[in-house]
Amino acid sequence: MDKETFVDMIKDYRVAFYLVLLIASIIVIFPHPGPSGLETNLQFGLDLDGGSWIQLEFQSAVVTFKSDRTLDKLIPELKSRLDAEVNLIDQNTIEVRSGISEEELRAVLKELDTELVSFNPGVTKETADDVKRILENKINSLGTKDAKVYVITGLNGISRYIRIEMAGVSMGEAQEIVGKQGVFEIRIHTTGNETEHVLFGDAIQSVANPSQTPPNSNNWGVSFVISHSAAEDLRQAAIDVGATRKPEGHNLDMILDGEIVYSAPLSPDLAAELQSRATTNLLASTGVGEEGREQARLLEIHLRNGALPVGVSIAGSGSVSPELGDQFKFWSVLAGIFALIAVALSIFIRYREPGIVFPMVLINSSEIIILLAFATFFMQLDLATIAGLIAVLGTGIDQLVIITDEILHEGKVPSPNLYLKRLKRALGIIVASAGTVLIAMFPLAVMDLSTLRGFAIITILGVLVGVLVTRPAYGRIIMSILSK
Amino acid sequence: MSYFNYDISPYSPVKLCFIPFVLLVISLVSIGMMWMQTGLPISPGIEFQGGISLTIVTDENPDQLTEFFSGYPLISINEGIQGSKYLKFGPMDDALAIEFNQKVEKKYSGAKIDQIGSSFGETLQEQATIALIISFIGMAIVVFAIFRTFVPSAAIVISAFADMAMTAAAMNVLGIQLSLGTTAALLMLIGYSVDSDILLTSRVLKRKGKFDEKIQGAFRTGFIMTTTTLGAILAMWIVSGIGGIQIIHEIATVLFIGLVFDVMNTWLTNAGIIKWYVTEGKGRLSTSQRGA
Repeated sequence: MDKETFVDMIKDYRVAFYLVLLIASIIVIFPHPGPSGLETNLQFGLDLDGGSWIQLEFQSAVVTFKSDRTLDKLIPELKSRLDAEVNLIDQNTIEVRSGISEEELRAVLKELDTELVSFNPGVTKETADDVKRILENKINSLGTKDAKVYVITGLNGISRYIRIEMAGVSMGEAQEIVGKQGVFEIRIHTTGNETEHVLFGDAIQSVANPSQTPPNSNNWGVSFVISHSAAEDLRQAAIDVGATRKPEGHNLDMILDGEIVYSAPLSPDLAAELQSRATTNLLASTGVGEEGREQARLLEIHLRNGALPVGVSIAGSGSVSPELGDQFKFWSVLAGIFALIAVALSIFIRYREPGIVFPMVLINSSEIIILLAFATFFMQLDLATIAGLIAVLGTGIDQLVIITDEILHEGKVPSPNLYLKRLKRALGIIVASAGTVLIAMFPLAVMDLSTLRGFAIITILGVLVGVLVTRPAYGRIIMSILSK
Repeated sequence: MSYFNYDISPYSPVKLCFIPFVLLVISLVSIGMMWMQTGLPISPGIEFQGGISLTIVTDENPDQLTEFFSGYPLISINEGIQGSKYLKFGPMDDALAIEFNQKVEKKYSGAKIDQIGSSFGETLQEQATIALIISFIGMAIVVFAIFRTFVPSAAIVISAFADMAMTAAAMNVLGIQLSLGTTAALLMLIGYSVDSDILLTSRVLKRKGKFDEKIQGAFRTGFIMTTTTLGAILAMWIVSGIGGIQIIHEIATVLFIGLVFDVMNTWLTNAGIIKWYVTEGKGRLSTSQRGA
């Protein structure tokens, strides 16, 4: 190829776009030497970096029903029958926070003259987000550096599972962290900075969701109920330190694992009430507006002491040690390299022409580089994703073969006009088979079949990058080479 | 260049389809039997049934391991290279599973423990089934949309179906269970297997020329495509086998089997049907105008 054809080739929009994308990809991946060898911007999943995952299943169901009874009678009745929390979502949907089976619930509802219409194990998106927040808080407060919590929501909008991934943590530690409760304490200021113990977290019997008092005042707070004996203790302590007469200067501190998470004096009303009698119903106000609401949310989590509003059971779990992860990394890179060599060998045997084999292999491997660059933005590489990459390598080369053979039809290099016609025809076949791969992988990409989502997404991306960018560019490059 | 000649001109469409047809029937019987036994066409692995899988490196022999894990529902022990052992256990409740984890972590550092509860397994199973069905129907729709003629489109869908059925039967024979990895491979196979079918059909319907020449040309391209892919997958299979990467190894195994069947189904089943369509079916008079 002389200089002129080369410049012409690069100026072609297909080739130019491909080259720009490839260079941008290398910049995005950013391979550079680091303390532990070659470092990149690639993010690895648990099975390559080591760590544990736990998938929890909510002991709850979202139920729709048909009833002639009024809701304000039905719901409390159901609560006491089931001895579980029941949340009304809309006129005929409730969230039953109990691991009850469909048949059992149907029977209970029947006794209440109510017909069960549909039963979906899981919780609403809102509850799931609450649980996610609580778990994140708990894990962060325990200093686990790299934890992610995912709510897995079905196509019907109901979340049945929540998945926690913790890098660099063994299974035993992970289970301990998820199961562990923080130490919560309320203390009252005596004189100056001195404080005195009032109650521990176990005295808190129930915690309500953040609410506005009075309603719609935009004044946020969390109300909670403490046990009778703790209520007596609180009254005694407040009287002893003089907080009932002079609430200012005698703040109540809420402390979680040694850290003050809330501090406020008794309200005048409460101070006056405590002077005469103990009370079990308390309200901690957190201020106005969005900030007050956010504070209330945090406080709710703290008051719950890390306990989840819904019961959970372990649906699945897994762990990979960092050493094994490193081993997997090494072998999967090796698998990729050998796959590429195998590809190069078999096309060399077929064409015996370095001018065809080199561009093919280069295009093929640059597809992988471009995909890796895409992956840095929104996904972690795990073993399934790597399998997807190798599969892309396989389909990619198939399609380059189709282009080459279509163009070289009858063994002659065609004139430019005929050439473009044939390239178009080849791309037609490619788009058709790409369409089928896209459709085949689509369900996996939208469903949540655990690790297979990454596999599907990378395969789909691979098909798109191939059809839109690299394969048209290959068609143009091979034309310049063959017309030498 | 030529390795061996692909020349189907002496054979009638019925002869071409005969061997694949017999194999398909045998496969369907095998799948049916598995279905009656387990409720699934392929025997489900731990991920779809619930249970615990454990990978450890130890010098202990299976008897010692059985002894150590007495009290847990041990199902099987497989031995890999360099003392690695792959143990399978049945479902356990939360308390027992936590106890099990602690026991394992205490004794074996670097163990890989994967646990799937039985209800989660059922969810995965349901979703995998739905995914497979939607994928297959989606593929069929795309194929019919591309070729817009019944027989050639149906030929592609039939050979893709035969690929899947034969692969599933082979998995049953070889004792490869349905896992997340093998489900992915089967889905991938839907995409892969129609690749060469689409090539064949496009070449035959869209190009001018003699049928036998067109189909031979398509075979040359298709055969190199499949062998290249097989090469890549074989490399993946060997390396992941040595490195002990279970999920990639499973995917590679199933893809390899599937692609071998694909060669047969494309160049016998699909070629047979399309030969019938072009020579005897209604496509004879209008091949050059038909198709997209």
